[in-house]
Amino acid sequence: MKRSYVIKRIVYAVFIFFVVLTLNFFIPRIGVQDPAERYYPPQGGMSTIEYEIIKQFTREQYGFDVSTFQQYVRYLQGLLRLDLGTSLRSGSPKVTTLIAQRLPWTLVLSVSTLVISLVIGLLCGTLAAWKRGRWQDTLLLNASTISVALPSFFIALMLSFYLGFRLELFPAYTNPNMVAQFDWGWGAIRMVFTNAALPIMSMSLGGIIGYSQITRNSVIAVTNEDYVITARAKGLPQATVLYKHVLRNALLPLATSIGMNIGGLIGGAIIIEQVFNWQGMGTLFLEANSTKDYPLMMGIMLFLSAFAILANLVTELLYVILDPRVTVGDKR
Amino acid sequence: MADTVLEVRNLKVAFPCSGGVIRAVEGIDLDIHRGECAALVGESGCGKSVSALAIMKLLNTPPAVCRADKLQLDDLDLTHLPDRQMERIRGKHMAMIFQDAMTALNPVMTVGKQIDEIYLRHSRLSRREARQRTIKALELVGVPEARSRANSYPHQLSGGMRQRVLIALAFACVPKLIIADEPTTALDVTIQAQVLDVLKNMQQVHGVSALLIAHDLSVVANMADTVYVMYSGKIVERAAMQELFVEPLHPYTHGLLASVPRISDDRQPFVQIPDAVPHPMRKPTGCYFHPRCPRSSDQCQQRMPRLESLDHEREVRCWHPLRQPHEVRS
Repeated sequence: MKRSYVIKRIVYAVFIFFVVLTLNFFIPRIGVQDPAERYYPPQGGMSTIEYEIIKQFTREQYGFDVSTFQQYVRYLQGLLRLDLGTSLRSGSPKVTTLIAQRLPWTLVLSVSTLVISLVIGLLCGTLAAWKRGRWQDTLLLNASTISVALPSFFIALMLSFYLGFRLELFPAYTNPNMVAQFDWGWGAIRMVFTNAALPIMSMSLGGIIGYSQITRNSVIAVTNEDYVITARAKGLPQATVLYKHVLRNALLPLATSIGMNIGGLIGGAIIIEQVFNWQGMGTLFLEANSTKDYPLMMGIMLFLSAFAILANLVTELLYVILDPRVTVGDKR
Repeated sequence: MADTVLEVRNLKVAFPCSGGVIRAVEGIDLDIHRGECAALVGESGCGKSVSALAIMKLLNTPPAVCRADKLQLDDLDLTHLPDRQMERIRGKHMAMIFQDAMTALNPVMTVGKQIDEIYLRHSRLSRREARQRTIKALELVGVPEARSRANSYPHQLSGGMRQRVLIALAFACVPKLIIADEPTTALDVTIQAQVLDVLKNMQQVHGVSALLIAHDLSVVANMADTVYVMYSGKIVERAAMQELFVEPLHPYTHGLLASVPRISDDRQPFVQIPDAVPHPMRKPTGCYFHPRCPRSSDQCQQRMPRLESLDHEREVRCWHPLRQPHEVRS
């Protein structure tokens, strides 16, 4: 029963990935003009033959010399070799190389953000549920209302201005030499984290409050369940009841939420990265977008989708371990 | 039988809420002797379950407010016992069986582990020893293949099996008192009988006193020695089981018994007590039952009758009981 569930999920994930990559290939092609027309609009002073040769050359260079279907087959062949194509930037770097350069920097931000928001969110949420209706709970409610109303870039700018420029606690924007100077030494690692402090703070705030809310609500819901009374009727100490019976069940909805958020981890926060001039995936995507670098955009999109699908798959499989009832629901 | 296991005096539970106070339990007295099974009977919403939770000290305070002049379990005085020490008593000296075994068992924990917990908490056993006791406990309540069933999750067991697990859980440490809160309500009638048998058997084998909470008099008839009839937060009648069935004294008890359908006379229409239990925030003046009572008089509307004892083992709270205190039984 469990094995069939796992196989089903994997097949489903592969299918979704195939649909995504197909859409990812065809959607940009609806809008794209012939690169030859785009780069070499008809102009005077050139013979028709010369002009046609140049155009043909350009088409070949960008792979537009064959039919769309053949292009699609080529694209798939490239993917099998883990080749996402070549960027239109000068130097024609591989898309995979560009992603590999930026990904670690985004991960520094997103993984720290996830860990911080989860740990603090869990603690605050449990506390608010425990102190339901008292000031701790009210504080969380008000904080979440405010944080919904405040856009993240505003928070980022405020942090940058007050903690960065005014108090000079952390760098207000990223040291432009950070990437170049990085050498895995302690000094370099410390530099990365001081530079990352403000972006992480701006990104964590929403996460902390989001996870707190989810935790609070599901802890309260679970606390009213009969089996929690059973656990208390067994004479278990409060802490054990909370840890083994309440949290264990309350974390199920949280796991779903984490799984969804992990998908977004590598996308990078476009706006936050931009505010602090952090050279991550978000900025890379923005650059690709503004220079109409289609292969790069497609490559990033596909990479992000693949990761999101993978993250969801892992969450679903993890659910089997977390909640023994899942396979039954699937069987029905 | 002077040997009292549970002695409750003047237990009161109230829930303050917006717009007033809900007085769920208004000063009840209970005495349960060693090895005895007492039943607390009444319609839904009359305060039975709340009383049970209050005796176990499982109500969350706040919001609930609990008061008792005396709460004595055997030689333990629980009246003012702090929560920490209460934890050591729950599960070991007093245990509870809940109504719906589906929701009363943790869905993400195997039933074995849930029973292990109670041994690990109250006795110095290793995990392995605890599991052995668990398997024994499951066998005792008639769970077949207990060793493998212990590794099942609650949703993998049938309703009857789950209820047996709850019974095993409650009897695990052989407590002094078991409180069973409508233990069979969520089950099919055929399974009900089986589970009641298990419960009765366990209670008698271990000589455990029990407080059985039920709204169904047929459940009570098979198990209880003494019956407390509760109405709107107050005890209205107390009697030995046999006597109650033969001669109910309170009009409410009479109504309850009359409303039990009988197979023998199928031409008689169902008897029912008119209206419903008063809303706990708008209880009537005088006797709470008077608006529904066929024998009510002016006196009933004005003053709440006291719980008066008739013979040594009977008490009734009524101005016009079906037999007056001075009447001598023939």
